[in-house]
Parts: sequence; structure tokens; C-alpha cells
Amino acid sequence: MESIEAIYEYAWLVPVLPLVGAAIVGTGLISYSQTTSTLRRPAAVFIVSLTGAAMVLSFLLFFSQVQGHETYTRMIEWASAGDFRITMGYTIDHLASLMLVIVTTVAFLVMVYTDGYMAHDPGYVRFYSYLSLFSSSMLGLVISPNLLQVYVFWELVGMCSYLLIGFWYGRKPAADACQKAFVTNRVGDFGLLLGMLALFWATGSFEFEVMGDRLTELVTTGGLTTGLAAIFAILVFLGPVAKSAQFPLHVWLPDAMEGPTPISALIHAATMVAAGVFLVARMFPVFEQLPTVMTVVAWTGAFTAFMGASIAITQNDIKKGLAYSTMSQLGYMVMAMGVGAYGAGLFHLMTHAYFKAMLFLGSGSVIHGMEEVVGHNPALAQDMRLMGGLRKYMPITATTFLIGTLAICGIPPFAGFWSKDEILGSTFEVSPVLWAVGWLTAGITAFYMFRMYFSTFEGEFRGTNKEIQIQLKREQLMAMGASLGPGAMNSKELTLDAEAHDDHGHHSEVPHESPIAMTFPLMALAVPSVLIGLLGTPFANYFEAFIHPPGEAVEALAEAGGAFDWSEFLIMGGSSVGIGLIGITLAVMMYRTRQLDPSAIADRIKPLYQLSKNKWYIDEIYDVVFVQGSRKLAKQVLEIDVRIVDGLVNLAGFVTLVSGEGLKYLENGRAQFYALIVFGAVLGLVLLSGIT
Amino acid sequence: MELAHFPWLTVTILLPITAALFIPFIPDKDGRTIRWYALTVGLIDFVLLVFAFTQGYDISNPDLQLTESYTWVAQLDLKWSVGADGLSMPLILLTGFITTLAILASWPVTLKPRLFYFLMLAMYSGQLGVFAVQDMLLFFFMWELELIPVYLLLSIWGGKKRLYAATKFILYTAGGSLFILVAALAMAFYGDTITFDMGALAAKDYAINFQLLIYAAFLIAYAVKLPIFPLHTWLPDAHGEATAPVHMLLAGILLKMGGYALIRMNVGMLPDAHATFAPVLVIFGIINIIYAALTSFAQRNLKRKIAYSSISHMGFVIIGIASFTNLGLSGAMLQMVSHGLIGASLFFLVGATYDRTHTLILNEMGGVGKKMPKIFAMFTACSLASLALPGMSGFVAELMVFVGFATSDAYSFTFRLIAVLLMAVGVILTPIYLLSMLREIFYGPENRDLVEHEVLVDAEPREVFIIACLLVPIIGFGFYPKLLTQVYDATTLRMTDMLRSKAFAASDTAQPLALMPVLQAPEILE
Repeated sequence: MESIEAIYEYAWLVPVLPLVGAAIVGTGLISYSQTTSTLRRPAAVFIVSLTGAAMVLSFLLFFSQVQGHETYTRMIEWASAGDFRITMGYTIDHLASLMLVIVTTVAFLVMVYTDGYMAHDPGYVRFYSYLSLFSSSMLGLVISPNLLQVYVFWELVGMCSYLLIGFWYGRKPAADACQKAFVTNRVGDFGLLLGMLALFWATGSFEFEVMGDRLTELVTTGGLTTGLAAIFAILVFLGPVAKSAQFPLHVWLPDAMEGPTPISALIHAATMVAAGVFLVARMFPVFEQLPTVMTVVAWTGAFTAFMGASIAITQNDIKKGLAYSTMSQLGYMVMAMGVGAYGAGLFHLMTHAYFKAMLFLGSGSVIHGMEEVVGHNPALAQDMRLMGGLRKYMPITATTFLIGTLAICGIPPFAGFWSKDEILGSTFEVSPVLWAVGWLTAGITAFYMFRMYFSTFEGEFRGTNKEIQIQLKREQLMAMGASLGPGAMNSKELTLDAEAHDDHGHHSEVPHESPIAMTFPLMALAVPSVLIGLLGTPFANYFEAFIHPPGEAVEALAEAGGAFDWSEFLIMGGSSVGIGLIGITLAVMMYRTRQLDPSAIADRIKPLYQLSKNKWYIDEIYDVVFVQGSRKLAKQVLEIDVRIVDGLVNLAGFVTLVSGEGLKYLENGRAQFYALIVFGAVLGLVLLSGIT
Repeated sequence: MELAHFPWLTVTILLPITAALFIPFIPDKDGRTIRWYALTVGLIDFVLLVFAFTQGYDISNPDLQLTESYTWVAQLDLKWSVGADGLSMPLILLTGFITTLAILASWPVTLKPRLFYFLMLAMYSGQLGVFAVQDMLLFFFMWELELIPVYLLLSIWGGKKRLYAATKFILYTAGGSLFILVAALAMAFYGDTITFDMGALAAKDYAINFQLLIYAAFLIAYAVKLPIFPLHTWLPDAHGEATAPVHMLLAGILLKMGGYALIRMNVGMLPDAHATFAPVLVIFGIINIIYAALTSFAQRNLKRKIAYSSISHMGFVIIGIASFTNLGLSGAMLQMVSHGLIGASLFFLVGATYDRTHTLILNEMGGVGKKMPKIFAMFTACSLASLALPGMSGFVAELMVFVGFATSDAYSFTFRLIAVLLMAVGVILTPIYLLSMLREIFYGPENRDLVEHEVLVDAEPREVFIIACLLVPIIGFGFYPKLLTQVYDATTLRMTDMLRSKAFAASDTAQPLALMPVLQAPEILE
């Protein structure tokens, strides 16, 4: 038993190990950049093995928690001022240990994958050190014992996301995207910070359960109105809204796909974006007391789920499509939290982490293959209009991608079915309207995912079709021009053409399957994507027996599990599988057998098609209102500063100069005279204050 | 000899200026000997300061320590009295640290090296003096003394508009310091005894109206230095024209003098007036934060952009000072030290970038990250520190001010709510201008005009070393703020207690700071 205690004492190593890796390699990069950059393999092996060690440790902690070890918390005093103390530390409970396992496994596999994907990139070593830094921050986030520490790591994962989205900093879209991601997240953090301060003001604590208890007490005794408490909680919820890409702060996630694909899998699908759901889970003691907040959470989630799915239908960029799908799935999780289905939301978080990571890594494998044909231009390599028939060339990628697609569509017995079904079931009990939104979204999900699968892997390979290539390049240029605005033409833009032309060197006619470093993680992730759902079947829900809201008795759950209703399960499960099948059938008819012409349908519902293709025009609206608005405001303030505030100063200087000429006779250069003036002023001051 | 009785502070203050007097006699053909000489002096002085701190300074003692007092001019009752408490000690150490690094940063200076290093060492003394002296008149002298080197450093080694900037700087600060002199004299002659000793001045019992007048006078002087809107306009000009090492001193230390003096005199000596003025300070702090962040966003000149960001960050110092909580005051102190480090590192990097691109206009840059990856990495790290990323000192400081102010019982709920909301807007604005700046300098395709005409070499080891030196404490305090807060905690705690007892005792009938009806924080039942 002692060895188990020792593991808990050293649990802080889980986030620290990757941090050490990042620090050592990062220091090497800054101090001896040439040498470090050439030590590619050793650096990668070093970092991957550290993450592996963290993974082993996480599994040990997890198994110990499964066996019923009690929650372990360790705190140190971090900052203090007088009697005021802020403590930091770590806590290992069921939820934390589960998240540790999810994060470390996905991170480990993504790191293995990176070796293949980034093999030819000059920033290979830098990429690994960023990855390691991110893993460290994310692991720190999940073992945080209080809201303040969550906030700290929350910002740190945001920073890593910023660095990694902007990894290819020479690309203008990447440069814009990373800034957009950081600033949008800061808007959410603004709310989180205010909410955190307000809750601290009201309850005097940053600890989740203490906050919940005291807030309930205050509301019941009338010390705090329910409305105020709800506002505080909603402010906190703004943090997850940004981090988990919920409407209206979702705009950064699709753009974040400018980062290298391993990042999209790790950060923008499996782990960091799920941090929002995790925070809602941690804040559950506070949220569940406030029905208004729960309603807001549920509706935000439902709306986002629908919106994401509706946009994903028309995307041609494979990564953008997956990004909107992620947004939609995160919406499901948030909705689950909002209807009080704590276990179901986290169950979906886990299944989604595995199958979505696999889908993204699969898309990366596809892009890697496409780049051999069309060159390193993301506008070409990621566009599904140039793909098709890839199953023939990349069988492993295609098979795993199909598994992922089936999982996300909710086809039993794949993982996504069990978690999504559980969410929909719990939602139906609370609000049939919300259920209907979720149910409809499930159908759309099945449709767009199979559209994606068919356009990529089935049919004829279109990659060598010059006509489509030229058309895509033209679209890319137009998009660039639009984003720069008229009159912004300068030498920077012209490089785009050069970039597109200079990599005609290593072209082959057909793509090839990716190396084992990339296919192994795909196959490894396929296993949980198929099987992990079986942990949470409604008739034997091991998952919810393990993960349940703090304070809720386990016995109650066990009882509920005993009284399992087969007919209800069949109706709920049947309806969601049914709509999934309808979606798949439609996709088959439109993109496989070609019985229906997609473009004809698009023409018939043009406004809706445009709305979806242009992402509901939200980027455009934000650009006009916030981006241009803030620029204008800032310019005006600067004008005021230069013209009025500083202008007055200069005017005063000018006036002094002029009058100084007239006052010359006063300046006789005698020090006594100046002293007299000063003394007189002092005397006046003392007298004045003595009188009053 | 007993270590405790060695005149540490006098020696460390006088050492740089004395050593500077020998500069004209040093044989030096290529300007290399002098810079090594200056660096050695700076380093020795810093080591002495650290030694004095570790040996002679007890952090649990809130009183003045390492005190010395010698009568200088008996007729004027002018004493050379120095000492350090929790308010001075961190800033004294910061001064030694930043100034030594600034000397190392001035390696590329080739114009009149003798005069340059002479002035740098003179500033070293002047700055230490401002933080260490405990005599009001002496404080005024030190305050003035340090202006002259700055003026010369600006007007000889500055940019194109250096004379305008230097003149503006000297007029502003000299104008401001006139108020110090008048207020100091008034305080000295008030009451029965005539004294310039700060401790004795603080002990005097002033009438409230007198306090208000004196407070206002001090506030004007320190508002120029800190700076507080609308007295800030010298700063973008001075910072925009200064060379990198001078810049590091301006941002790293000179701005802190305003904050230090504000705490030492306005809060420490005139607590009753502080109770009246505090809400005004909060409002000015908020204006500083938002107004300067917006102007910084619109600025196209790199140096001025960072200069405005300094103003914005000083807003948190002002609010912390006005928070009436120990946490807030502690946060203000931490923010001063933190900004000293971060501001110095950013300005140094701006200088390093300018040495390569020879332009400060953002439109003329772009995509230089490829050629200068190390500078890119360091610039990113320091910008992230400046936008208060957790794990770096700026975050802790701002958080302490936030929590301190939000939980302060001196203000009404509504006032705090609005103030915190507006302060938090700064949290959104800061990354916007800092990240846009990074994007415009380093990201995107390379700017051909720049790449073809300028030699863009990456950072040399000396530059990496300077930034590493600055980043170590930034990250150190960010990870474990107690390292720093414990140094001054005893002093700030006593000061806050004094402040609160005065402010709340005087207001039995009405809450002085309550602009709106008070909604007390709900009682917590344990």
C-alpha cells in the first residue's frame, strides 16, 4: 500500500515531466540553436519518453482511483499578503485521474505521429518542445484543486495554443489565426476572471465545493440574490464558452486549423477545447444550484451543436469540416452539462477525445499524402474537391477514418453511440425541445461525416485535375485579397504566387500511405474508438459509477442502473440511430451513387446554402463591429492624445516662451530672489491651511 | 568589523558616482576598456547590495533597516540619512540589477563613450539615492540629481527629435519637482518643530485641509513621473527617442520612483488625505489602463507603442495603492518590480530589433521572424509576460490588485463593480496590441524591402544573456510570488493597518469612499 501513497506524493511529476522536457529542449534551442536543431531524433525521443513516463504514472493513479482510493490533495502556500493566503497544489480524484489518462494517451500518440508528419519540417525540434509545454499545462489544468489555479493553467494552454497555431509563422493566415485565437479566448477569460473575483468576493474561497456550499447558503439565507449569483456563474461560464468554442465565441476554432495537424488533433479536438467542459464539470457544485445558469448552459450547447453541424455540411477544407464538427460535438457535451447529465457529458468528452483525435490524425495522413501530389499549399492539399479514391492508396488511413466516422455518427457498437445516446436520453427527460435539436443535429452529423468520407476516400482520384487546382488557387487569392482589403496591395502579397510555384519539385502522380509512425497512432486510437463506449452502456454503466457529480451518492446511481428500462433504451437509441441512418443514406445518394446532384440542391436552397458556406456571416459581422470598431476607437483616442492632451502641453510651452520674453526683467539671476519666491509660496500655503 | 554596522547604503550609493569620476583618466583607445570598467563597477555595486540585503536586512522587520544618519549642513538641519524598509529594498535591488544590465546593454554605444558611461554610473547613484534616502530635502536633491543625466543621455544619444523630447522631459519633471520642494518645505515648517526627517514628518499631525493641499502637490509631481493621465505626454516622446539602455532605465526604474514616492509620502505621511483622494486615484488608474492601451493599439511606432503600454501597466499600480487592502498594496509593489523587469526587457528587445531593421515603423517591418528566430522567441516571451500570462510576474501582480480591490471594503459595491469591470477591459486590450505588434514585426511573409536592404542577424550571446537574466526573475516571481512579496510584506501590512485605522476611524458617520450606497459583502458563516 505504501507504494501507492508514494505515487500520490509524486503525482506532481505528471505535469512536471513534460515541462522539464520542454524547458531543456527550449533552452537548447535558444542557446545552441544549430546543434539542437540537428539533434532531431534524440530531442524527440527524450520528450516522447518523458510524456510516456507521465502516461504510466497517470495510469497508475487511475487504477488506484478505480480501486477506490480516496481523493488526494496536497497544497502549498503560493502567495500571501498579511493574513491573506492563496494556495496552490494538486488534487487527484476520479475526474482528474480520468482526464490525466485521456490527455497523456492522446498526447503520447500525437507525439509519435508528429515524428512522421513533421519529418521534413525545419521546426521539428521546436514543435516537440511546444507540444511538451502544452501537455504540461494541460495536465496541470486537470489536477488543479481550485478555480484560481485552473485559471492559471487555462491561460497557459491558451498560450501554447497561440504558439502552435502560429507555428508556421511565415504564413499570413496562421499569423492572423493565432492572434484571433488568443484574443477571442481572452474575451472569455475576461468573464472567467470577473466571475472568479465575484465568487471569491461572495464566498471568500476559490475551492470548488466550498464555493458551491457557501453560495447555496447565501442564496437561501438571502445574503445574495439568485439573480446576482446567476450572473456570477454565467461570467465564469464565459471562459468555457471561449475555450470550448461555443457560440458566440467559437470563431477562433476553425481558423485555428492553420496550425499543423497534430496540434489540431491534440489541442483543438481532444484536450484543450474539452477543458471548457471540464471546467463546467468542476464548477458543477456552483452551477447545479442555479437553474437559470443551467438553462443558459444547455441552450448555448444545443445551439452551438446545431450551428457547427450546419456549417460543417458545406465545408470543402477537410480540416475546417472537422473543426466545425468538433464545435458541434463540444456543443453536445456542454448541453449535457446544462441538463445535469454530468456523467454523460464527460463520457462523451472521453469518447470524442479518442475518435476525434483519430479523425484529425487521419486527415493529417491524407494531407500528408496529398502534399506529394499537389505540393505544400494548404489551399490545395486540404481541399476535398481534389481528393477522392484515396482508399486505394491509403488503406489504413481509410479504414481508421471510417471507424471514426461511424463512431461520431452514433452507430452501435462504436464509442460515439453510447455517449451520444446517453446525452440525448438525459436531455429528453429535461426538455424535449433540446432533445429535438440534438436529435436533428445527429442526423446532420451523420450526413456531413459521410460526405467527408466519400469525397475523400471513395470515387475517382481528382488530385491531378489541373482545372480544379487552378480554380482553387484563384479562390485562395480572392480570399486573401478580401481579407487584406482594397488598396492593401504591397510586395508581401506577391509572394503567394511564388510560394505556389516553387514546389513543383517532388511531385508524384498518386499519394502513398503514410509511414508507420503515423499509421500506428491511428490504429492505436481505433481501439478505444470502437470499444470504449462499452464502459458506459446503459445496462452496465461502469463509467457513471466512477464519474459522478461531487456530493451525489453512488448508491443512488447503482439503483438507477438496476432499474434499467429496455423499451426506453430501444426507443431513444433507435430514434438516434434512425436519423443517423437517414443522414448516411442521403450522403450515399449524393456523394457515392450520385443519384442526387448536390449542386442542384444547393442552388434550390441558395440562401441557406450561402448562410452555411459563409459560416452564418459571423466572421464578417465581428470584423465590422469589433475589429474595425476597436481600430477606429483606438485611432480616435490616439488623435485626442496627440492633438488635444499633448497639444495643450505644447501650446503651454509656446505661451511660456512668448511670455518669458516679457518676463525677462524679473530674471535677475540672483538666487536669493528665487529663494524668496519659493519661501513666500510656502508661507502662503502654511498660512492658508492654518486659517481654514 | 561587524557587518550590521558597515555603512552599506552610503557606500553603494556613492560607489558608482565616485568610480565615474575616474573615467576621464582611464587610458582607452577603442572605447572597450571603459565599458568593462563601468560594467565591473555596476556589478560590484550590485553584489554589495545583494550582500547587504542578505546579511543586514531582516525581512520580518517592518521598520527601516541599514540606517545611517550623518549631519551634513547643520544650519539647514540637513542630514545624510539613508535606510531601507520593505518599500525601498525591492526597488533598490531592482535598480542595481537593471542598471547593471543596462550597462551591459550599452555595448554597441560608440558615440562619446566616456561621457555615456559616466552618466550611466551617475544615474546609478541618483536612482539608488532616491529609494534609500530618508530625509525630505535630500530626497528632493536626489530626485533632481537624477534628471540631469537623463536629460543629457536623451539629448545626446537620442533619436531624431531628441532635443524636443529631452526638453519636454526636463520641463515636465522639473516643473513637477517644484511641487515636491514646496510641499516638503511646507511640511517641514508645519507645527512646532522644523524637521526634514521622513519619519518625523510622518509622525506629525497635520490638519486635514493642509494634508489635502500637500497631497495634491505631491500627486502632481509623482503623476508626472509615474505617469498618470493627463500628465503623461512627455513619456512617449522621451521613450520614443531614447536609446535602448537609457530606455531600460527610464521604464525599469524612473517610472517606479513615482510609484514609490506616492506610497512613501502620499500614503505613508498623509493617510487622511489619501482617504479622500483614493477614489480619484482609482478613476485615474482606470483611465490609464484603458486610454493608454487604446493609444498603444493605434500607435505605429514600436517604441511609442511599448511606451504607452508602460503607462497602461502603471494604472494597476495606482489602483493597488488606492485599494486600502494589503493585498492591493502588495500587488502594486509587485507590479512595480515586475514592470521594471518586463519593461526593461521589452525596451531592450525593441532596441535590438531596431539595431537590425533600422526602422521603428511597424508598416516597414514584417516577417523578420525567419531571419531572427531567437529575437522572435525572446520578444514573444517578454510580450506574453507583459500581457500578464500566468507563470510570469505580471499576472500575479495584476491578480493581486484585482483581488485586493475587488474585496476592498473601503468602496461601495457599485463602485468596485464598475471599476473591476473596466480594469478587466484592459485584460482584453493588452493582448490585442501586443500580439498585433508581434504579428506585424515577425509573422507573415518576409518584407522584401527590409530583407534586401538590411542585414538581419540573429541575437548574439550577450543579448540572449541579458534577456535570460531578466526572464529568470520574471518567471521566478510568477511561479512563486512569495519570493518577492515576503521581502516587503511586513512593511506593507503595517502601512495598510495604519491606513485603515485612520481612514475608517475618521469616518464613523459616513463612509468617505462610498460614492454609492454600500452593499456589504455577505457574511460568511463558518
